[in-house]
Amino acid sequence: MGKERMDAGRGREKGVVAKSGGAGGSNRGFYLILILLLIAGVGTLSYLSAKRNQVVSQVDSTLAPIPNTGHSMGSDSAKVEVVEFGDFECPACGSFATLTEPDVRDRLVKTGVVRFRFMDYPLPIHRNTWPAHRAAWCAGEQGKFWEMHDVLFQNQDRWNGETTSKPEAVIGEFATQLGLNIQQYQSCVETRKYQAQIQSNASEAERRGVGSTPTFFIGSNKIGTALSYDEFKKYVDQALAALPPAPAKPGTKTKR
Amino acid sequence: MNRRMLTALLALIGVFVAAYLALYKAGVIGTLACGTGGCETVQFSKWSMFLGYSVALWGVGYYIAVLALALVGLQERWAESRALSLTMLLLTGWGVLFTAWLTYLEVAVIDAICRWCVGSAAIVLVLFVLSALDYRARRASPATDRHSLHST
Repeated sequence: MGKERMDAGRGREKGVVAKSGGAGGSNRGFYLILILLLIAGVGTLSYLSAKRNQVVSQVDSTLAPIPNTGHSMGSDSAKVEVVEFGDFECPACGSFATLTEPDVRDRLVKTGVVRFRFMDYPLPIHRNTWPAHRAAWCAGEQGKFWEMHDVLFQNQDRWNGETTSKPEAVIGEFATQLGLNIQQYQSCVETRKYQAQIQSNASEAERRGVGSTPTFFIGSNKIGTALSYDEFKKYVDQALAALPPAPAKPGTKTKR
Repeated sequence: MNRRMLTALLALIGVFVAAYLALYKAGVIGTLACGTGGCETVQFSKWSMFLGYSVALWGVGYYIAVLALALVGLQERWAESRALSLTMLLLTGWGVLFTAWLTYLEVAVIDAICRWCVGSAAIVLVLFVLSALDYRARRASPATDRHSLHST
């Protein structure tokens, strides 16, 4: 701030008073900076909130369908398939998995409306995410991918990069709790058996321009943010509405 | 540029930092530019709420209060008010204590560091230092609040 200047005998800083004659220019400069800062701040926040709405975009129809290389739940005959590109260490993915996904499973997957697929997209900013993805695949080898998926998200704060530099030990406890064959599990994670599959899924995410996690592909929409159940259902309804009408069964008459 | 002007400018920056986190918490902003993921961890922790509202929203209110006081303090009527300086000192002092508690929670309980929270903590600390210097200057001044109040 520089050397403090005070009016002799009064202890008043120059420029404190808005109307003081000599400091008028300084005050005008200050208010100008204040207004510019206000405009810049409001503009930035408005831009960011508007960008939030841009997280929804149309799926690039020139790309081939997403290969079936992740882990799925739900009926093969479900009318809508939802694909999530997720990162086990991403808090927003954790929020979706713990708050929204239980409703999605109960109300959309179990009722046969939706088939839900999880595709790996471990982000470089998360240092412990790869061991988690490998653990999930190795649990999947023993038929417990979704159980590991859930326990990883529910306990992110126990193994994430902010907490520990050795996540394998904590995740290993989850494997024991889930009743996995530990010898098989350890061998699987230590040899990084599914590294190529996880990398392949991550490459698929990059090919499709996935910029953040979670990103959902629902019908023709690509949504790059965590969703509430109502938002999720809205996109599923849109996808259902866009489906071609089912062909009439032979012998049935259409009503007029 | 004097201390109260600097206080006002810093408080305005603080308003935007806190508003950024509050809007994220409210779901208006999709992702945080954080780098480490620590911001999301902190924002999704149970400590991100205080008395039913997000801590970030309380921060917005706090910074607006400091900004308002600093702007009032620039007006002639309040320029030499010790009461105003003392109010700012108490408010920013309370801000330092609250921020220290939040920083403790980040480091010792949540185990995650939110860079925006660290930035906000730095602003809160500087605001306190500026307020302390301002109060010291007002104490050295012979001006009285009574004079200030009846000068218009």
